[in-house]
Amino acid sequence: MPRSPIRSLSFRARSVALPALSHALLAVLPARAQVAPPAAPPPARHATIALDARLATDAGIRLGDLVVVAAAPGIPGDTLRVAAFVRRGADPSEVARAEYRVRMHLADLQRVLGYGDRVDRFAIATRDSAATTRAIAGINAAAFGFRAHRSRDIAIETSRTFAVISRFHKAIGVITIGASAIFLLCIMLMKVEERRRDVAALRLVGLSAASVVRAVVIEAALVSVIGSGAGVVLGAVASRLVNAWYQQLYRTPLTFSLVTPGIVGFAVALSVVLGLAAGVLAARRLVRTPPLALLGR
Amino acid sequence: MSGGLSGGASGAAAAGEVVLSARDVHRDYQLAGETVHAVRGISLEVRAGDWVALVGPSGCGKSTLLNLLGAIDRPTSGTIAVRGRDIAALRDRDATAFRLRHVGFVFQRFYLMPQLSALENIELPMAEAGVARAERRARARELLAYVGLDARERHRPAELSGGEQQRAAIARALANRPAFLLADEPTGELDAATGAGIIALFARLNAAGTTIVVVTHDGDLARAARRVIHLRDGHVVNEVHA
Amino acid sequence: MIGVLAAASLLRHRARTALAVAGVAVSAAMVLDMVMLSTGMRESFRSLLERGGFQVRVGPRGAMPFDGEATVGGGAGLLDTLRAIRGITMVAPVLGATLHAPQPGGAVAAFALGVIAGSQGDYVLQEGHEAVADGEVVLNDPMLAAVRRRVGDTLTLATGYDPQLRTFSGGRTLRIAGRVRFRYLAADQRGAALPLATLQAMGGDARRDRLSLVMLRVDPAADVEAIRAGIDAALPRVSALSTATALQQAEQRLSYFRQLAFILGSISLVVGFLLVTTIVTVSVHERVGEIAVMRAIGVSRRHVVQQVVLEGLVLSLAGSAGGLALGLVTARWLDSILATFPGLPESVDFFLFQSIPALAALGMLVLTGLAAGAIPAWRAATLPVAATLRREAVA
Repeated sequence: MPRSPIRSLSFRARSVALPALSHALLAVLPARAQVAPPAAPPPARHATIALDARLATDAGIRLGDLVVVAAAPGIPGDTLRVAAFVRRGADPSEVARAEYRVRMHLADLQRVLGYGDRVDRFAIATRDSAATTRAIAGINAAAFGFRAHRSRDIAIETSRTFAVISRFHKAIGVITIGASAIFLLCIMLMKVEERRRDVAALRLVGLSAASVVRAVVIEAALVSVIGSGAGVVLGAVASRLVNAWYQQLYRTPLTFSLVTPGIVGFAVALSVVLGLAAGVLAARRLVRTPPLALLGR
Repeated sequence: MSGGLSGGASGAAAAGEVVLSARDVHRDYQLAGETVHAVRGISLEVRAGDWVALVGPSGCGKSTLLNLLGAIDRPTSGTIAVRGRDIAALRDRDATAFRLRHVGFVFQRFYLMPQLSALENIELPMAEAGVARAERRARARELLAYVGLDARERHRPAELSGGEQQRAAIARALANRPAFLLADEPTGELDAATGAGIIALFARLNAAGTTIVVVTHDGDLARAARRVIHLRDGHVVNEVHA
Repeated sequence: MIGVLAAASLLRHRARTALAVAGVAVSAAMVLDMVMLSTGMRESFRSLLERGGFQVRVGPRGAMPFDGEATVGGGAGLLDTLRAIRGITMVAPVLGATLHAPQPGGAVAAFALGVIAGSQGDYVLQEGHEAVADGEVVLNDPMLAAVRRRVGDTLTLATGYDPQLRTFSGGRTLRIAGRVRFRYLAADQRGAALPLATLQAMGGDARRDRLSLVMLRVDPAADVEAIRAGIDAALPRVSALSTATALQQAEQRLSYFRQLAFILGSISLVVGFLLVTTIVTVSVHERVGEIAVMRAIGVSRRHVVQQVVLEGLVLSLAGSAGGLALGLVTARWLDSILATFPGLPESVDFFLFQSIPALAALGMLVLTGLAAGAIPAWRAATLPVAATLRREAVA
């Protein structure tokens, strides 16, 4: 089937947010993208629209294509030229939403929606924090029908969902750290226990208990450091895999898993501390046991 | 004692019958990339009621030969037969079953299961052979009494002296009434007095009809045997009858 | 005897065994929690959707029920059309709106539902009676508390409120007929329900004859999917959602948790596997001599394998039992965190204990433990007896 130069898109008219004067943000219904012949020959110059890159991919739309946008299915709309593709921002609250987003010039959107000269909200840039406070107070005192909010307050309100997820992740992290700590302690205890015969031999040839403990603890620390080094590499690889998987799954640039120096430091410190603790515990037990008993005599 | 000490599972052997025979047995193995010829064409026969001591310097192939006779190891060539049945060609499963029912092993370092009591150690081969719990417990007690450990049945190996451990190991070896007993340096870890006790136990067993093949460096143990076979470099160099 | 040996082997290093069991328990708890998360969320939503006994939901085309303020016009005609469809036994129309109650210092907003009493599935009556007559309203506890009213009192509610001018539009004084609990509202969300016609009239032209949602109860003998598809095809202004589709859409929104559950559950299984394998391998390594002796005195390979596998099995069984208890505790903790999701219906649980999936999860961990024991068991069973005895004698 030949590719039609004009696509018809319809927009849900409600729940529209207009974050700035110059551009509009719209929810697009993906299933409504249909191929339709133009109602009339296209004018020489069309208003432009920026489409969600996912919509462009899914509907096979290219830059320069003409699309028809309407406020509801089945009603006439405006024909616009696709001037740009936009990618979704790294917004956690958007991750699991499949709706497409497009951006249009404010006047075009107002016309399509029959909104008249109305906007949902204004974004205002100020010089500094004091100016923001003054502006908010001034607007709230003078402008009937409007209410000014600090962006940070709105961000806090809208990020409540993400705050819950973040707390959930932290809780999962606590459980995981508990499991890792037990695993590490277990491995280190076994590692030191393996050295029973060597420890017995060292004690029999006259090394002091302190020297034996030192040797075992140094070995445990080395094993922990080498192990945690390997763990950091493994963690970094796993993090990349997790990011690649989720980013392709949700088609978002959001970073899901981040290996930061702080996290690396914490992981290495935890494993070294646990390794040392296990080393000291096991080594002290070994040196308290008579060497011949260690040899099974 | 009731039920006998050995020969039960494979039928009581008539005195003088050939129980065990080896024909031109060789055993080579690889060690650090070199081929070691541990046993080089040994032939021998062990008759029912025999007590054979294999002696010779370290590395002469005594223990390797003992492992071959007990179907722990397989010869590179040659045949080993127990009452005419070739055991060299047995598959692992059959060789294991053979060891369980026909061979009693005694090791230099006793090798009792440290987590089991003396009684349970003796029960282990019987449990493996499917002997009912009550029956095996009764026989284990009988064997412990025979080796003089009836008061120590609940003790773990770590709570027994070296001599007591070896007595328990001998009782374990006799559990399934084997056709013969194979002992590798059974007095090697014991002091002279304790070793003498073990030698006396072997003598008592042999007098009761148990066939014994023992590998030893211990002159007293070798002298107690009926036949002493001298090995050197994997060969039999001579044989002395008591 | 095999059991005695396995138990004795585990008891020989008590601290190590206890740590291994604890480690497996944490892994098991994690696996259990993740299974509870992935299956529980779905089942919880399903139960929530099915609780009212409505199998199909019809709303404005392209919108999820109450996801935004979309409504469909010509409500009366739509209801007649739906009632005429064979197999539909009940039609429950709903209009959603935000109502404002004038209060000293401002207004209290509540999510209001216009329904037909007796055929609604959105709330459960807890006190009083349903809002049947024009001019009656039922409120939930958060709303009653916010407006400081009780059943039997009157309350003025308005459809429009200008916070700057503090003026109300579309206001009406209603009598509080009952106290209710809404199925689909969050615990702290204020809610009200009133007769559909009353709410439509309060909204003026903007809400006249409009509906947000129509819930349909279908004859058990009828084909729900066929009815849903029929409505979808015949009525271009609306979308019909079956419970399965609604579940699917809800799941899509919460797919992150399912994904997370899958990844963390898999990692936990791997950690459990590694832990058991490591413990059993080290245990086998430590007693190769004993194993060689057992083989020498005639213990079969099968029994050696059984003993070693039994050790792994005991570790994973004990760990799974501990994990069951720990998992239930941690699930409650994690659920209490996720329950604070803004707008989440009160009765939705993220973690739902269902015996079959839970036992399947723990069974999977036990199987993992079996598999983990199998590798060292095979190594133990295939030890060269003579060579091992020789090595042990030298050592």
